[in-house]
Amino acid sequence: MFISVKEKFTAQQHIAPLAVLRMAFGSIMLVSVIRFLLKGWVYAFYIKPRLHFTFYGFSWVKPLGGAGMYTVFALLIITAIMVTIGLFYHAAITGFFLCFTYVELIDKTTYLNHYYFISVMAFLMIWVPANRYYSADVWRKPGLRVITVPAWCINIFKLQLILVYFFAGISKLNHDWLIAAMPLRIWLPANSQLPIIGGLLTQTWVAYAFSWFGAIFDLFIGFLLCYSSTRKPAYFLVVLFHLFTAWFFKIGMFPYIMIFVTIVFFSEQTHLRIISYLKKLIPAKSEQELDKVYILSSVKSGLIYTLLIIHFTIQLLLPFRYLLYPGKLYWTEEGYRFSWRVMLMEKGGTAFFHVKDPATGRKTEIINSQYLTQFQETQMSTQPDMILQFAHMLAQDYQKRGIRNPIVTAESYVTLNGSGTRLYIDSTVNLATQEETFGHKKWILPFHDKAQ
Amino acid sequence: MRKLIYTATVAVSAFVLIQSCSKSGSGNNPGNGGGNSTGFDRKGMLNNMSNNVIIPAYTAYQTATTNLDAAITAFTTAPDAAKLTAAQAALKTAYLQWQSTSEFEFGPAGDANLSSGVDTYPTNVGQINTNISSNTYNPDLLANLSAKGLPAIDYLLFGIGADNNTILTQYTTDAAAANRKTLLGKLSAELKANAAKILTAWNGTYKSTFLNATGTDVGSSAGQMVNQLVYDYEFLKNDEIGIPAGTQSMGTVFPEKVQAYYSKISLQLLLAHLQGVLDVYTGKDGLGFDDYVASTTAKYTDGTPLNDAILKQFATAKAKLQTLTDPLSDNIKTNPTAVTAAYAELQKLTVMLKTDMPSALGILITFGDTDGD
Repeated sequence: MFISVKEKFTAQQHIAPLAVLRMAFGSIMLVSVIRFLLKGWVYAFYIKPRLHFTFYGFSWVKPLGGAGMYTVFALLIITAIMVTIGLFYHAAITGFFLCFTYVELIDKTTYLNHYYFISVMAFLMIWVPANRYYSADVWRKPGLRVITVPAWCINIFKLQLILVYFFAGISKLNHDWLIAAMPLRIWLPANSQLPIIGGLLTQTWVAYAFSWFGAIFDLFIGFLLCYSSTRKPAYFLVVLFHLFTAWFFKIGMFPYIMIFVTIVFFSEQTHLRIISYLKKLIPAKSEQELDKVYILSSVKSGLIYTLLIIHFTIQLLLPFRYLLYPGKLYWTEEGYRFSWRVMLMEKGGTAFFHVKDPATGRKTEIINSQYLTQFQETQMSTQPDMILQFAHMLAQDYQKRGIRNPIVTAESYVTLNGSGTRLYIDSTVNLATQEETFGHKKWILPFHDKAQ
Repeated sequence: MRKLIYTATVAVSAFVLIQSCSKSGSGNNPGNGGGNSTGFDRKGMLNNMSNNVIIPAYTAYQTATTNLDAAITAFTTAPDAAKLTAAQAALKTAYLQWQSTSEFEFGPAGDANLSSGVDTYPTNVGQINTNISSNTYNPDLLANLSAKGLPAIDYLLFGIGADNNTILTQYTTDAAAANRKTLLGKLSAELKANAAKILTAWNGTYKSTFLNATGTDVGSSAGQMVNQLVYDYEFLKNDEIGIPAGTQSMGTVFPEKVQAYYSKISLQLLLAHLQGVLDVYTGKDGLGFDDYVASTTAKYTDGTPLNDAILKQFATAKAKLQTLTDPLSDNIKTNPTAVTAAYAELQKLTVMLKTDMPSALGILITFGDTDGD
């Protein structure tokens, strides 16, 4: 057992899967970033909003203004191209990781698991020699070329993908998803206009079938991709599953990213075939397949091993941190992010904020749209940490307007997976004096399902 | 190839297996099930909406603005008391009709920014007087956005004198009478032209565009209808009662910020608007969002079917508004308790329309276009 684990870590393996992963990841990132620009989202998400919801501990991350933000996105495009062709790879992937993560840290309104996934993948790719084969770097400096790398260079990506799917599967093992078929029971009928299958989507049993299939798929697909005997059908299911979700739901590039990066599970023969096909399009300098091995100095490898152990320990623990909080996870969302909980809730809310002048006792209702974009308002109204942040923004604004210690309260009504809207936040609590911490927010009212 | 067949077999059998499991376990009962067994006829709803709600609204609004323009032309050609009264009546009719037309600010109306040209208030009296004294009016000038449309005409027909005799002199003996008549004529002609443009678009190609966007995403017709209905309803709640009553200004009231301040029909307009929103919700006699919501198992917090709760809340809000009287600008000062009570009921309806309904239907409330995951 121990030997086989060590084998998976240090045994030399052909570099081809890593080169293909580099090109797959780089090119799909290029498409994603260009799509993001063309949709006008740089402006809508990072330039237009007056206020931003930063992550806890990252309030120092600020947007750079119009020219600055477009420069960052230009850098993302350039580095994505450089990663794809493998030019100055380490600088490129490091730059890509930093720029992408910076953008994601500006505002949690735009948080998506798949953006987090991109940051994680880019981070892992910094530490591997993905440019040592069929790349511009090798063309530039033929001496860089290697044929084999330690297995961990490839297996860390497989492990990361297994974790993503597996945790996504675990998160579906709950009453709402399996027994109530929520939220698919709401989401699928909303697609009844689709050709051929539209009629089926309104059937309750279909919502159950999709829920159960989704859970089973997520739980096992990572493992099925590992074994050569199940790999091809498993990949076929990956493509099928992600294309279906792309068809039904508005989830952007995520399905295509997963279809691209799961190629890494295939054998070196498959990857060599992919590369030889690519070589017909873009020939590389013909060289003999000399058995050149990638060797790291013991200091460097020690550093990387430590980093990887820390990374995967965090990856394993983070999705379970919700257990430290009381209450229903979907309702409080304490420990919800960064846990591969994907498409699990139909949640919506309307939040009214009130600011009271303690000196006069006079009260005013806030028109949220005077502070936030529609997107920010929608996201804020169902997430307690954002509600608290907005309350602090309001307190600050009214303080500036000359009201000392303004009292800010939130009257927020939220619906979760088809429940009727109910009061979400204790509307008597002065949020201006509540601090953000990692602790439980006592002012979140408990979720009681009276209707059931 | 063999593997492909193998995969397909596995997938299909898994599907069948899960299907049989769920049928025994879920107690799926057609007519009661979450997703109804036949599915709601969204296309039928869009058909009814366009034929019986939207196009009739634009037709009536186009007629009303045509009549208003005719009455104003008659008045400015030979101003007298009777023609002033006729023009005033025509304005009220057009304003009331607008309240059940403003709900559809997507498609042709959205492209033309119809609402902001028709009903931006409080109207800018200074800008109107500048336009009169300079005898120029540029409809494309941004500053004129708050010096045009129904509110500007409301001022010019009701607000420039203590009574109709005084108002009449502004169009006869006043030094600026000629310029004033010119501006009034231009404003009503602009309203009429814009109304006609939207109606033409709906009677032309847009109707089929509307009918064919049968999805529920942001660009779909149901999605656009819900989003604009919510937007328009929030305008009703905030701009037609909340802001004048001081809910958003630490209790300082702004009576002059009511809709139709000069003709003093604010409450009448408010009630007409609420009815307009209700008509969109119910689709009048045909398929509407009420039927759509009722086709799901969605419940309100108290356990009653969501559609019943929404209809009930419409009635409650209406009843509370009916305890107020016109002119609303006086009522918000003299009867603040009743105003606050009515506002509170409108607030509850906001949550239902903005959150409960879209969530039950799987319609995204957002005016932008974003990814989820």
